[in-house]
Amino acid sequence: MISLNQVSKTYETPAGKFAALKDIDLEIRPGEFVGVVGKSGSGKSTLLNMVAGIDRPSSGSVAVAGTEIHALSENKLAAWRGRNVGFVFQFFQLLPTLTAAENVMLPMDFSKTIPLRERRKRAVELLDLVAVKSHADKLPATLSGGEQQRVAIARALANEPPLVLADEPTGNLDSVTATEILDLFRNMANRGITVVIATHEADIARVIDRKIEISDGKIHPQITQTI
Amino acid sequence: MTTLWRKAIRDFWQERARTTLVVLAIALGISAFAAVLSSYAILTRELDRGYLETNPASAVLRVDSIDNELVKAILQNPEVSDAEPRRTISGQIKAGPVQWRNLILFVVEDYGNIRVSKLVPESGAWPPATGEILIERDAFQVAKINVGDAVTVKTANGVETPLVISGSVHDVGQAQARMENIVYGYINLATLVQLGEEPHFDQLNILVAQNRFDEDHIRRVASDVEKLIEGRGHDVRRVEIPRPGKHPHSDLTGILLLAMSSFGLFVLVLSGILVINLLTAMMASQVRQIGVMKAIGGTRRQVARIYFSQALFLGIAAVIVSIPLGILGSRALCQYMAMFLNFDINSFAVPIWVYLLVALIGVIAPLLAAAYPVWRGTSTPVRVALADFGLSQTNFGAGAFDRALTRIGGTFSLIAFAIRNSFRRRARLVLTLLTLAAGGLFFLSALNVRASMVNTLDRMFAARKFDLSVSFAKPYEFEKIQKAVSNTAGVKRAEGWFTGEGSVGERRFNVVALPADTQLLDFNIIEGRKLTPQDTDAIVINNSLAGREPTMRVGETVALRIGAEEKAWRVVGIAREAFAPSPVGYIPLTGMVNSLRLALDNADPDAIGALKTELDRNLEAEGIRARGSSTKSENRFGFDQHMVMIYMFLIVMSAIVGGVGGLGLMTTMSLNVLERRREMGVMRALGATPRIVWLMIVAEGVVIGVLSWAIAALLAWPVSKAIGDSLVGVMFHSRLDFTFEPLGLVIWMLVSIGLSAVASFLPAWKASRVTVREALAYE
Repeated sequence: MISLNQVSKTYETPAGKFAALKDIDLEIRPGEFVGVVGKSGSGKSTLLNMVAGIDRPSSGSVAVAGTEIHALSENKLAAWRGRNVGFVFQFFQLLPTLTAAENVMLPMDFSKTIPLRERRKRAVELLDLVAVKSHADKLPATLSGGEQQRVAIARALANEPPLVLADEPTGNLDSVTATEILDLFRNMANRGITVVIATHEADIARVIDRKIEISDGKIHPQITQTI
Repeated sequence: MTTLWRKAIRDFWQERARTTLVVLAIALGISAFAAVLSSYAILTRELDRGYLETNPASAVLRVDSIDNELVKAILQNPEVSDAEPRRTISGQIKAGPVQWRNLILFVVEDYGNIRVSKLVPESGAWPPATGEILIERDAFQVAKINVGDAVTVKTANGVETPLVISGSVHDVGQAQARMENIVYGYINLATLVQLGEEPHFDQLNILVAQNRFDEDHIRRVASDVEKLIEGRGHDVRRVEIPRPGKHPHSDLTGILLLAMSSFGLFVLVLSGILVINLLTAMMASQVRQIGVMKAIGGTRRQVARIYFSQALFLGIAAVIVSIPLGILGSRALCQYMAMFLNFDINSFAVPIWVYLLVALIGVIAPLLAAAYPVWRGTSTPVRVALADFGLSQTNFGAGAFDRALTRIGGTFSLIAFAIRNSFRRRARLVLTLLTLAAGGLFFLSALNVRASMVNTLDRMFAARKFDLSVSFAKPYEFEKIQKAVSNTAGVKRAEGWFTGEGSVGERRFNVVALPADTQLLDFNIIEGRKLTPQDTDAIVINNSLAGREPTMRVGETVALRIGAEEKAWRVVGIAREAFAPSPVGYIPLTGMVNSLRLALDNADPDAIGALKTELDRNLEAEGIRARGSSTKSENRFGFDQHMVMIYMFLIVMSAIVGGVGGLGLMTTMSLNVLERRREMGVMRALGATPRIVWLMIVAEGVVIGVLSWAIAALLAWPVSKAIGDSLVGVMFHSRLDFTFEPLGLVIWMLVSIGLSAVASFLPAWKASRVTVREALAYE
């Protein structure tokens, strides 16, 4: 499903060059639920961005679902991402002027994979799946953090992507809600979607199939393990 | 409707106050443009239509006398579809004790059957009975008379005849009476006899049968008619061919309105700047949202479309607001112009192309303005956009200019802080300054152009040292006239002049013969010299003649024909006469005179009136008949009327541009406040009172106002000169003696400080009300 080959990423900063990723080799199988664990600044977000095509490697190649995404243009990447990747952010990042249902419909409008008339119906179904159907017509500002993240997860599933990426999806939530959100991701993986979550929290072990520990831009070989 | 459209609409709704400001600003620009453009369409159409309805003469021939036989003979020519004789005679009119006014009398053979250059009866009697006179509707104000009044009329023969004003007519093709300061009267042939004149006609209005709008064809037909008349032993003095189918003022009106349209477009460009500011700020505040949309699959084009559709809403909303406004404006403008030009508007219908053009420009302008900010805003890579920390990140302090700004004021003060703050959003500041400064420039230009016009007229009239000029029906010996003058009290100096026509080749111009050592005319010599008493064959020409006849250069000798006599004249000098479009040559006086120029002890209108009465009596005692007279103030009146129009136009323009500038500043200040809410929370947390926050923002607005004033002040000189010269060039084919009105700088300083304080008042008030908690929590 995901194949990273000798991927390095170096940023130019005012303080000099900074290597966020160093020679990463990684394979993730379809339907696998992977947790990328590391401290803040370890490179886990960069790794996720590489897989999502949000960032480009300085060297090496990234193939996701059979597409060499490091070779695509910005616009082609966006269109590809819309169909193949669902993205969940730490701060939810719902668009403030769109309702919950409309936020879920947005990727469908971008990708146009689902017929116009079915989009609303599908959005409500997805909201039902994450148990916030009753909030479909509310604006994000009126929802709690947990509810917002549920909407964001529904949005990530909008175009039935084979891959869902989540960057610290529980970082802004209390522990009870965090558990509920992680269970949603587990359910996704159970239905065959590849899920990759970046987190610095240790209690993710309960739900994931495999843990990848990353520090200083390198994957720790000993700790990469299948649970 | 997809979520993309919904987002575009709701984001705008969230920004509704600012959106409204920008829509208003664009609407102001489009309204101004639409008003002027529709006025252009309506006026040029109605002016020519009204003129054509009178069946205007293709050519007017001035003949010594015309009888029915001659008219019949002319109508034999199949090229001539109609010919109608008239008589035009100049005289004077007065009502009661009011002084004499110059009068042009038109004599019509049969009022029941006017076929060429028709008159439209307005009120009262039609046709005028013997002993009655009809007055052109615009001339009642000039003569200060009403229908039913008894008036006294005299022609050059001096016979004073009482007539009754029995009605009012509208003479569409005639220049406005108020502008010319002349009364137009219409009488029948029998009344002409009462006035002591021979009952004959001397003017022939002819209409060509075909190609009515072909000037060359008309010229050929008129020339045939001229030959026919001369073949019958008559003398044709002059042939006039007006521009076929065009009202005499049609072109001027068109040029003026087109000039105004370009100002309308200019205002539109300025309001486009507001769109740039608004969308740049919106894009900046949405960087992270743009990142999210791209992360979940939005292409740059899809995301850009959202923001372009917002610019589209701006344009559509503005067009919806401004079309009715523009129509209203065009009605007002048309009515004003119609009153000014003395014609009626039958239909205010605006042609469809005006609507289409206005809508097209109104919709496209905001889209064009949005192009750069939207394209740039959507170019941010997803990773950078997602990492955006919000709005308060500016790079203030990076450049040398910023460091220089920190030295202003030395120790910290509110003003220094306000100055530095106003420079934080550099591009926005520049655009805001542009719009505000443009308003200032127009205002300063209006005042400068007005001052320059007054200055130019002052100089022009100062060169004319005479307060009163009297013209005579025929030439007299000056000694005879002088006798009458010396018996009249209050005359400082009198000179007799001869005014006539001369020609070089085919082209005629006015020739004025005056004493070579004249004390009553100061030549403003721009080349060569003025006349001296030794001159016998010297001619001084004005700049208008010099411009028209390139062969008449200083030092050259030209063959000049005056009356029947042709002789060689030496051009010795060129004199500048601003606002005098007619070409004139000045030669030394040798023989008799036909006009009198008088410098008076007391030049107020009452004194002149009394003196004129006495002078008329004394002249008559010598057997001299005065044909007409004009005073300096009467001559000036017409010029002032034209000037007021230019001045008003510029003042209205500056109000509109200033309005757009004010709206722009308001938008800028509200954006500045919005982006700095957190900073204001910090200040409040550090102990700043709401009043200080409020003051700080108003001070920032005022700093921008003062900066814009400085830019306007710097550019005012060249810009006002260019505007003044081009406007006066269009209207008078002349230039201005430029002068700068320093008072304008003071007034605009006050206006721009006031405007910027008012524009920043609301944003400042809103900012000062934000609580510390709200402000710090704001993202």
